Amino acid sequence: MSASSSTEMSAEPNLTPLLDVVFQLITFFMLVINFSNDNYDVRVRLPVAGTARPLDDADKAVGQDRLVLNIDRDGHLLFTGKVLTQQKAMEEIKHQASLVKLNLKAAGVKLNATNDLPTTVILRADRETEFSSLFGLITACQANGFRRFALKAMNFE
Amino acid sequence: MSHKQGRRKKSEQSLEIPVTPMLDMAFQLLTFFILTYHPMPSEGQFVMNLMPAAPATDINAETSEATAANPDIPAALKTLPTMLRAGEGGQLGQIILGESEVQGGLKDLKTQLDGYFNDPTLPFDQTLIKVDPDLKYSALIQVIDVFHQAFTDAKKEAKLAFGELSPEELAAP
Repeated sequence: MSASSSTEMSAEPNLTPLLDVVFQLITFFMLVINFSNDNYDVRVRLPVAGTARPLDDADKAVGQDRLVLNIDRDGHLLFTGKVLTQQKAMEEIKHQASLVKLNLKAAGVKLNATNDLPTTVILRADRETEFSSLFGLITACQANGFRRFALKAMNFE
Repeated sequence: MSHKQGRRKKSEQSLEIPVTPMLDMAFQLLTFFILTYHPMPSEGQFVMNLMPAAPATDINAETSEATAANPDIPAALKTLPTMLRAGEGGQLGQIILGESEVQGGLKDLKTQLDGYFNDPTLPFDQTLIKVDPDLKYSALIQVIDVFHQAFTDAKKEAKLAFGELSPEELAAP
């Protein structure tokens, strides 16, 4: 009996400091993780512009309505992961505008005389996209009441 | 003395909570966050209000008497026109600011824009950038970048509008 108790000696490492470090790491990743990047398509390679202003807190505000349009190098609109033809893209923009109007109506917000929508259209176009494709989408957005645009670019390569 | 020691021993009895399961769970959470973490590259943006095409007039044009007298007549916007023609591979080929060609590229464009923006005798309502349909977005962004710098330096609100060069304008020398 006494022999077995002497062989059962065990060394227990103190795990508390390790747990502290792991919790700190978890806190770090929880703070820096961003689940809202779903709209950002990795197929789009943005151009570089030095004075492009980073998003400020006002732009990130919860109430700020945004419509992100990713445009690939062939000028096709990438929407919810799908590549849309020009015809489908126009229909989608019209649909999005009607959704915004519906939301505003439900919230009791009245539009101004020219029916300008408060939504910011964020254009994320590939650096190789030709202007004709981009201009077609901008014109379609303007025709549906969008006035505020943000052209995306990288601050550095 | 011995009585005191006995009391201390009794009060120093500690309860050890097993931290191993908690550590296991913490490691699983850590693994999840590491795997789902994708650092995004630093993105910036140029925010602008793009209104639909409006009647435009030359920057030097005088306001007509009829328009000046009647505020109900929509005045044509005094416009500083800029034309961007594409070169080889959709890159920037030619820049025409006002009526003269910008010879020294983007650096010269900035100098000329500073001259326009800081001249109080040349007020304008918008700068209309007419772009070659074949021009790549990267080249356009470089020009917007220069305009943005000039507007910021002159402490003016960025008033930009875009248009597409017509086939006649493209064919013109």
